[in-house]
Amino acid sequence: MIDCNNGVVNTGAGRPDETGDETTRRSTLPNVDPVIVVLTLAGIFDGLAGNPVHAFLLIGIALLLVSGADLHVRPTTRMNGHHPLAALAVAVVFAVVVGGFERYSWPATVAVIVPGVAGLLMAFRAARTPGPEPLVVGRHGAVAWASLFVVLGLWELTNLLLQPDLATASYAHPTLSTLLDPILAMHTGRSVLLFVWLALGWHLVKR
Amino acid sequence: MSSHDATVTIYALIALVGLVLEAMSRTGRTEMPRLGTVLTRIMHTRSGRIGVMAGWMWLGLHYFAR
Repeated sequence: MIDCNNGVVNTGAGRPDETGDETTRRSTLPNVDPVIVVLTLAGIFDGLAGNPVHAFLLIGIALLLVSGADLHVRPTTRMNGHHPLAALAVAVVFAVVVGGFERYSWPATVAVIVPGVAGLLMAFRAARTPGPEPLVVGRHGAVAWASLFVVLGLWELTNLLLQPDLATASYAHPTLSTLLDPILAMHTGRSVLLFVWLALGWHLVKR
Repeated sequence: MSSHDATVTIYALIALVGLVLEAMSRTGRTEMPRLGTVLTRIMHTRSGRIGVMAGWMWLGLHYFAR
């Protein structure tokens, strides 16, 4: 059984009232949070691909989850949409200004890390006070959505591996990044996608 | 059809399937959940919430940052 709430959990044997099979299974399989596994693997491969900043952040987040760290973020404005116009204005200005930075430059990196870390800190804070139980998601629905994203990931990986090498884009086998390159090469394109990225983050934080 | 066109077509098909799933969820005639509902469910747990936000941050880093 996987407990997504507490990261890595001990691997002790099952309770006495459980069946023998269940007890055996619990005593032999490590109980590891899949989110930690995914973040760690993503960090390792991102590091191997020459992205040390990404690797540092992903593995750092995984370690925080492993440690069960509870980041005590000072409560500030709740992300409940009380100032949507102000937030919209900030997002537009951010997107226009940061979209003017060259891709993969340090100014762009810092500008993306700041809202990214802010979103993460809000996630840590919100995780301390979970809201009401959300709607139950049926097995078939969960499998359908999960399958869609797994297929997308596998197709992306297939095209990545069909490139001449990991750092050289292929026109014949484009990844999503390659397909977006012409858009991201333009200031306007970067600004629009930055705004979409911020809006997605805002949408997630409010959940 | 070239390899490029085939690759893009498959990406488009995946996006289309996503749109169909979302449309099905909104009809109310199936048990298909909305993508937002699935995300809310995932983000109800501590590691799920932090994992989803980490994924969002990674997207920003991947497309714009070093």
